[in-house]
Amino acid sequence: MILMENLKKKYSKIYDQYIAKIYRFIFIKVNSQEIAEDLASETFLRGWERLKELDGKIDNLPAFLYQIARNLVVDHYREKNNTNLVSADSSQIADPRNDLGEKVAFDSDLRIILATMTGLSDDYREVINLHYLDDLSIKETAQILNRPEGTVRVMLHRALKELREQLKG
Amino acid sequence: MTEAELIKKIQILNQIEPRKDWVDFTKKRILGVKEERRWDAIFSVFPRLFPALKPAFAIMGIALIFVVTSGFAQNALPGDFLYSFKKLTEKSHAIFLSENEKPKAQLELTNKRLEELAKIAQTNQTQKLAPAINEFQASTVEAAKNLAKVAKSEKNSKIVKEVVIQTQKLEEQKKNIEALGIVVGESEELNSALKELVEREIKDTENKSLSEEQEKVLESAKSDFESEKYSEALTKIITLSQQ
Repeated sequence: MILMENLKKKYSKIYDQYIAKIYRFIFIKVNSQEIAEDLASETFLRGWERLKELDGKIDNLPAFLYQIARNLVVDHYREKNNTNLVSADSSQIADPRNDLGEKVAFDSDLRIILATMTGLSDDYREVINLHYLDDLSIKETAQILNRPEGTVRVMLHRALKELREQLKG
Repeated sequence: MTEAELIKKIQILNQIEPRKDWVDFTKKRILGVKEERRWDAIFSVFPRLFPALKPAFAIMGIALIFVVTSGFAQNALPGDFLYSFKKLTEKSHAIFLSENEKPKAQLELTNKRLEELAKIAQTNQTQKLAPAINEFQASTVEAAKNLAKVAKSEKNSKIVKEVVIQTQKLEEQKKNIEALGIVVGESEELNSALKELVEREIKDTENKSLSEEQEKVLESAKSDFESEKYSEALTKIITLSQQ
């Protein structure tokens, strides 16, 4: 009983700290508020179930949650039978909620950067998201992506280069 | 562009945030089991004390939850968790209205949708803009249906006056919102229903004997009608009927 209460407290803290990050991580991949909410809540639900099963013995819970989120996005697109992870239509990204977005004056910088991110590969988008948006270290990013730290550094360098070129174009 | 500038640009994406009510709701759904049990325990005491009254307690409980939630929902905006509850409450009120009261009530609701839109724009809740515009447009379609009925039914000056007041308010609010840079779009259905109503009112007025001064007002109303300024035309015709 005490263990369960402690687990809850621990998970509650992690939830408060990471819900916005995980949501954004998913949102940038799926460009839909509804789907991002569904997958983010499923991520935290699965994380909680697993934590209970293992009596709280998960080494790096945030990294574990990112892994679940990544897998859920992959499953989501597999179910939808989509080959591309993101739509190429940038107008859908400008207002991710529905097609009325064109009528609404959204922050143009946000629109541009979101649309440009769409042009990047999923690997590049992920590495930028984790390191520059979620402020994760190279080590943590490497852990989540299951890649060596050196590879992550190279990916970051190339991702920025690609993003800069696309922004110019 | 330097690397620092590029990173700064990327960090604009930090503006993407989940809805607060969804965050709270999801947390409660995953971790809030104990709280629910506590409430269950409190409510379960009453039926145990008075088993015969169990159905009555259930109905009272549902009614209480409905009243409390609808109270909270009144300030909800499109995109909020409680917004659908707010609309349900509005729909349930509409059931008790007579056919004559419906056009005014629906136009009031359309005005309410614009008030919500203005509130969203003023508080910079950009995530809610698109759903709010959708709600406004859906509401204008409903208002148009009711207006079309007015135009086809027997003439009722009271209803027409109410329509004038509400459509004037609607246009004024629309202008204010558009001044904030938000395009809510034209409602063809509403315009067409108004057109039909104004057309009928003009024909009715033409059949009356009018003074020279009143003829001028009628001509001005006709000119407004031709320029598709239906609300203004209707206002002028109403002033004629009051003279």
